[in-house]
Amino acid sequence: MPGLLDGIRVLELGGHVSAPFCAKQLADYGADVIKVEPPGWGDEARRMGPFVGDDRHPDKSIPFLYLNTNKRGVTLDPATVSGARILSELLDTADVLVENYPPEGRPTPELEVARLAREHPNLIITSITPFGQTGPYRNHAATDIVAVAMSGLMYHSGDSDQEPLRNALNQSFYVAGINGAVATTAALFQRMYTGMGQTVDVSAVECLASHLVQAVPYYSYMGAIKGRRPVRGSGFEELMPARDGYVIPSVQGSQPWSTVADLIGVPELHDERFASGSGRIEFGEEIYELLIQGLAEWDRKTLHQASGERRLVFGMAQDAGDLYQCPHLSEREFYRTVEHPVVGEAQYPGMGPKLSGMEYEVRRPAPLLGQHNHEIFGDELGRTDGELSQLRALGVI
Amino acid sequence: MTLPLDGIRVVDLSRVFAMPYCGAYLADLGAEVIKVDTHHNQFVDTTRTLNGPYPDNEPGELYWERGGTFQTLNRGKLSVTLDLRSAEALEVLRQLVSVSDIVLENFTPRVMRRFGLDYANLKAVKPDLIMVSNTGYGHSGPWTDFGAMATALEPTHGTGAFMGYLDVASDGRTAPGTVPNKIANSYTDFLASWTAQLAVMASLIHRARTGRGMWIDLAMYQVGVSFIGEGVLDFAFNGRRVRRMGNRHETIAPHGCYPCLGNDQWVVIAPRDDEEWRALCNVMAMPDLAADPRFADPAERHRNQDDLDAIVSGWTSGRDKYQVMDALQNCGVPSGPVLDGRDLLSDPHFRARGYFETAEHNTATGLGRQEYVSRGWRMSGNDVRIQKPAPMLGEDNQHVLSSILGLSESEIDELEASDAVGQSLAGAQTPSAVPLDRQVELGWTVAYDQDYREPLPAPTTD
Repeated sequence: MPGLLDGIRVLELGGHVSAPFCAKQLADYGADVIKVEPPGWGDEARRMGPFVGDDRHPDKSIPFLYLNTNKRGVTLDPATVSGARILSELLDTADVLVENYPPEGRPTPELEVARLAREHPNLIITSITPFGQTGPYRNHAATDIVAVAMSGLMYHSGDSDQEPLRNALNQSFYVAGINGAVATTAALFQRMYTGMGQTVDVSAVECLASHLVQAVPYYSYMGAIKGRRPVRGSGFEELMPARDGYVIPSVQGSQPWSTVADLIGVPELHDERFASGSGRIEFGEEIYELLIQGLAEWDRKTLHQASGERRLVFGMAQDAGDLYQCPHLSEREFYRTVEHPVVGEAQYPGMGPKLSGMEYEVRRPAPLLGQHNHEIFGDELGRTDGELSQLRALGVI
Repeated sequence: MTLPLDGIRVVDLSRVFAMPYCGAYLADLGAEVIKVDTHHNQFVDTTRTLNGPYPDNEPGELYWERGGTFQTLNRGKLSVTLDLRSAEALEVLRQLVSVSDIVLENFTPRVMRRFGLDYANLKAVKPDLIMVSNTGYGHSGPWTDFGAMATALEPTHGTGAFMGYLDVASDGRTAPGTVPNKIANSYTDFLASWTAQLAVMASLIHRARTGRGMWIDLAMYQVGVSFIGEGVLDFAFNGRRVRRMGNRHETIAPHGCYPCLGNDQWVVIAPRDDEEWRALCNVMAMPDLAADPRFADPAERHRNQDDLDAIVSGWTSGRDKYQVMDALQNCGVPSGPVLDGRDLLSDPHFRARGYFETAEHNTATGLGRQEYVSRGWRMSGNDVRIQKPAPMLGEDNQHVLSSILGLSESEIDELEASDAVGQSLAGAQTPSAVPLDRQVELGWTVAYDQDYREPLPAPTTD
């Protein structure tokens, strides 16, 4: 079964995480994604660790390997005359351009968004940056921690008696990437009726700010500043120590308190004072002690299983090894075998959703630098071998 | 101006955060989204009744219309009340699906089968239906019948392996963290919402090209793992299970979150290379630091970052977080204040981009005019925006039952008489709002402003 976006061609320019994750999403739905990298060093993600075997090699960056499956890769310097010409020819064949250059730090004036939009009116141009294409911070320097901080999400992550805390895996740029894919496909759908392209301006800080459906109305409705998770409380809905790691006991869902108390297995928890939300606030410290005592008798996975069987919604802290060996994900065929010419075979995490009308496949591993130059510039755009060697000698590709 | 989803009708059976928010975005994009509500308290979407926050922390008589979180998640929709325990109401729902394009739902697989609302059954009434079934663990696999809530699901799908404070020894030296932490704020719900929106768009394109519908089995657990794929792949290749390093970075130092002037005020700083490091030293007026052998190159800075963090914290702690950003950004050093809810609402960048969008509420709600978070993207060819506030319970019963479905007045009367539809929440008890002073004591709220309705002053920036 072909993918849902079969036949849609996407050009990806830029690099790192946000534009590549956006294009990966489109590629997973079947789009034909051509990743354009600068000649020489390639996408800066090739220099991002961790590396396979901790070997700093451009084809061994694990983020790069994950972010670029299902794409073909070419190298091209758009700041050269012949490079610009080839890029323009490629854009003529494309439906979508996904890029993440800084708004005013583009490699060449030909790559200004307004100019591209004028010259390619049918193209959908999706630009993903930390702050968007307009506004006073549009040219601010940002890494993930800056974007997470200024989105408001970071203030609300971590513990209230310590500093706000960030997740280590560039989440702002992943979230911006998928939001970019949403807007891009909305524009593609609209183009089916209007025939017109358009530009899409994605701001990573705004993508994450859109998660704050509680903290923002807390202020706009009642003037309150919501904080990070309190260090005091009953321990429910918080990470708590179990025998072999951490679990999250939960009272959420539709089961009565007695089911929760039964599962944890400390008789003193069967106390009417604890059965209501307000009781659990008032007697939080007492409950906390009983939880510590009860959970110490449980292993994470056994407790999670027992909770699920009782229709409770306890969670557990899993690490990468747990997830990789998870029987549930295996049965759902989440991991897919990918063979890569440099790093060899491994099981890669696959697509989030499962679709009735599409078989998800990893059609190809992340491309080597310039791997498809001949196929795309030669076979598709008709450059001869002689011309390609010349372009190579000039550093264009 | 047309909108991308003009003419698309969505039946939104979903509850809580993830799928209702997906429906709200589809409404922003121009779809007609019909929220299937109920006026029976025990089955109503809990964001109507349990979440707040309420204007001035007062639930009021119509509290189920007044929650700010509910409003954010359900803007732009219509509401029809249908008690799905009634066979007649279920039949009305099936008729509604037969004239709609998309169904969103997040019941457990068991519940959907019991109501006969699983994809196979709905496809029979609408052959090219696009349907998202969002659950904790998906419709197959050993954990399929487990319920889930984002707050407990987040560490289960692994974010806590990559998030945690550093361990600090008694001599003050730091080591990688052993205790997981959370992004929190129902993080997984939003990942699921974005993923569902993309699946819906791709399915609409596919349907327009092939005439075929689609069933999307969205397992939030699996979606969560797909966002930390690089971490899982690190295990596949290198056997590494966790990477918890506080706010530090694999290669950049200093890299962290530092205290500023005021209560719980913070700034982040992350100079990426030697040049930006020297710029930071200059801004801190500590040029000698750039020559200090402990900080001579990235590797040395990384090795000595406990010392470095103490120096940077010493410099930031007497300063305003926005002024630190200005000073460093003027030299191209990545830096920014950690914004809270109040800061976001007054920040000049968010304001200049028109990020917060307003809705004018029905006077009966007492909400007046309110601002809401919008979207992280805008399109040049469309006026995608919050089209209207969230619907009042059953506000569109007449429109949906009569104009869309063509039910006669007597049929509608019968539904009302059997209590299958209704506009006033039955069996409800006004929630008691925890007073803000008490919330501060409990640590839920950091502080509050009495005069929050006054326009917020913009921060001092260049």
